[in-house]
Amino acid sequence: MWWRSASFILDHRLQEDPPNNIASSSKEPDTLSTLSPPQTHSSFMAAADPFNPIPNPKISAYYQTRAAHTAVVTSDWLAQAQAAVGHHPDDSPAPQTQLLASPSASGKSFCVINEFNNWRKQPDLAEAVAAIRALAAVIRASEATTMMELEIELKKASDSLKSWDTTSISLTAGCDLFMRYVTRTSALEYEDFNSARSRLIERAEKFGEISCKARRIIAMLSQDFIFDGCTILVHGFSRVVLEVLKTAAQNKKLFRVFCTEGRPDRTGLRLSNELAKLDVPVKLLIDSAVAYTMDEVDMVFVGADGVVESGGIINMMGTYQIALVAHSMNKPVYVAAESYKFARLYPLDQKDMAPALRPMDFGVPIPSKVEVERSARDYTPPQYLTLLFTDLGVLTPSVVSDELIQLYL
Amino acid sequence: MPDVQVLVNDFINKLRKRKIEGSQATSRQTAELLRSVISQTRVPYTNQAGALIDAVRAVGEQLIAANPVELAVGNIVRRVLHIIREEDLSLATAAVAGLGLSSVSDDEDDAERDNHPVLSAAVVAAAARSTLRPPSLQTLLEDVPDSGAVPHTSSSGGDSEGKSKSADKSSRSRKLKHDVIEALNELIQDITTCHELIAEQAVEHIHQNEVILTLGSSRTVLEFLCAAKEKKRSFRVFVAEGAPRYQGHLLAKDLVTRGLQTTLITDSAVFAMISRVNMVIVGAHAVMANGGVIAPVGLNMVALAAQRHAVPFVVLAGSHKLCPLYPHNPEVLLNELRSPSELLDFGEFSDCMDFGTGTASPLLHVVNPTFDYVPPKLVSLFITDTGGHNPSYVYRLIADYYSADDLVVQQRPPTAS
Repeated sequence: MWWRSASFILDHRLQEDPPNNIASSSKEPDTLSTLSPPQTHSSFMAAADPFNPIPNPKISAYYQTRAAHTAVVTSDWLAQAQAAVGHHPDDSPAPQTQLLASPSASGKSFCVINEFNNWRKQPDLAEAVAAIRALAAVIRASEATTMMELEIELKKASDSLKSWDTTSISLTAGCDLFMRYVTRTSALEYEDFNSARSRLIERAEKFGEISCKARRIIAMLSQDFIFDGCTILVHGFSRVVLEVLKTAAQNKKLFRVFCTEGRPDRTGLRLSNELAKLDVPVKLLIDSAVAYTMDEVDMVFVGADGVVESGGIINMMGTYQIALVAHSMNKPVYVAAESYKFARLYPLDQKDMAPALRPMDFGVPIPSKVEVERSARDYTPPQYLTLLFTDLGVLTPSVVSDELIQLYL
Repeated sequence: MPDVQVLVNDFINKLRKRKIEGSQATSRQTAELLRSVISQTRVPYTNQAGALIDAVRAVGEQLIAANPVELAVGNIVRRVLHIIREEDLSLATAAVAGLGLSSVSDDEDDAERDNHPVLSAAVVAAAARSTLRPPSLQTLLEDVPDSGAVPHTSSSGGDSEGKSKSADKSSRSRKLKHDVIEALNELIQDITTCHELIAEQAVEHIHQNEVILTLGSSRTVLEFLCAAKEKKRSFRVFVAEGAPRYQGHLLAKDLVTRGLQTTLITDSAVFAMISRVNMVIVGAHAVMANGGVIAPVGLNMVALAAQRHAVPFVVLAGSHKLCPLYPHNPEVLLNELRSPSELLDFGEFSDCMDFGTGTASPLLHVVNPTFDYVPPKLVSLFITDTGGHNPSYVYRLIADYYSADDLVVQQRPPTAS
């Protein structure tokens, strides 16, 4: 289930941290949040069970998954512990009654969250696609006989998915997109309910292909903007940006890439690995070295966790800083994002979104009196972005709200 | 057909030798040429729009290749393609609506038509509509039909059996060409009258006792200023001469003959005089999809000066100058270098610039670019024949005039990736 390289680097510090790190008291349950070994289950029951529909609300499951997929050294010992315990996420455990809405709904919400978790763990699959596939499974398993009933079931499932992880924007956006599609399909007056239902299932399954196709379209669109001899600064591990760079390398373009380290996930190390495999000259920088090297840089390329209504993006912590520096030095900032990441949010400042916290590891124990900023993401306003490459085409930030209005109104 | 081919080759030669000056003349001649191509194309009985689109694409590809820097050619080719698709779509929806009525009335004739009479009409119309719009979030989950599908769906929608169908089809075949040529005539009319439409808006933007700055000579700007003069606004104009062609001199002369107070300055003096100016009004060679402007050389400097002193920078452009492409490296790729003789006299400088003597390459290089790229953040307002717009609104105008399928005008299918 955890797709990782075979070299299993046990980080001693990570193992020692749970007893030593007293600052983030919730760190311990975090590291166990994605599995529930029976022996620790009783002590962390309220916080960290994956079959509990609502995980610890302080920790963002989305960013945990991302860290697991893209970071170099993470909780490997978790996988080891998991294997040792012999725990299989597909087992259906006893229902956790205190946190479920109702017994009848528990069966369904169970299904959805399970299904979603299964899909989500594949590293190449986008979060929104996993959500839509989970909702397709709900349709398949449903016993509704009219479109209205089906819609209501889907709405419940979608709400439970959204509340499971309130911090993931692409999850919310994916659910909303699918719900919107469902309501529009039912409006087309299909005489036969079964044919409508099978059409919905088929479309939802095709959506997974759209995700891969979207990445290729984005890669094609951005080829013209990468010229020979250019230097690209990349932040965070975005699969879309990696696809863009891969395609450019395959087209025999000569360019070099600066990767920021990307603390605390250290995604830059992973990305530089991938790029080195493609024979692209890569240089690693610590996050603070961005302004120092910005005058050598020709353009900045980032992905996005979500694109908001103003045309700004929500991305890994550090993106806003880089965009500010690039803007002040007149360097273009390009964003590569698929269209299903467009969300109906309008944050006015950094704190305007649901907080997405994640455990920060400083490598040394922090005294408990010292507060730690644990947010995993920031918001970059649209005036610092030059262009967005999406599968809908090349867009300027002002087009995003237009697209959203067309969809939702 | 051979008749049209001669015209096409003629036009391509003129484009290649840069004999046609100005985007308005180029657009008009391109539109007229494409009109003759369309009227001479033989359309098959089915999938007529596809045949027309192929014919226009074949010619359009050659035209664009002849002069890639003259973006107006590509713009008009894409406008024509969009017109063909639009006309076909409106005919298809009209036909389907008509057939929907007829199938309801004739339902005792064919039993299996009852299975999906209303459904096919609604679905076909929806699918056809979605092919014309650019890809959007709404169509993300629907089937993505291929580009040939617009005539396809209309013919399959029309395939629901009906005796009246064959009569409809023959009338439709004549109608499509006829409609397209009518729309093309309107387009040509729009191109020729764009100056008047823009000049009508002059009086809203130019107020009493203002000082306007412009550079070089643009017919649109001339008409704009004269229209305001006729409405009894009194204002003054600073004209920067626009080296090396010095067309500002001609503009100054024209303005004086129309009775406007004019001051002629050099390009270098723009920064010195900009603080006394209320507004900068210039023409453009082309407007790109992100709101950036390809303008005669020197205008980037004027735009920067205007931004520095908070002076509005207004660009006048007819809608035929609107290009759906995004510029990457426009200073190099969308620029043309003209002859050094405009700068230097070959007689005096022959020893510096001579390739023949001694050293392989001369020490003196002369670069004479034709165009400048003004980024969208420096432009305050675009005035087109449809009204005044923000640079960030340009994408909307493009969605109205162009289809997403036509951005790459190529005959051979693009290599799949």
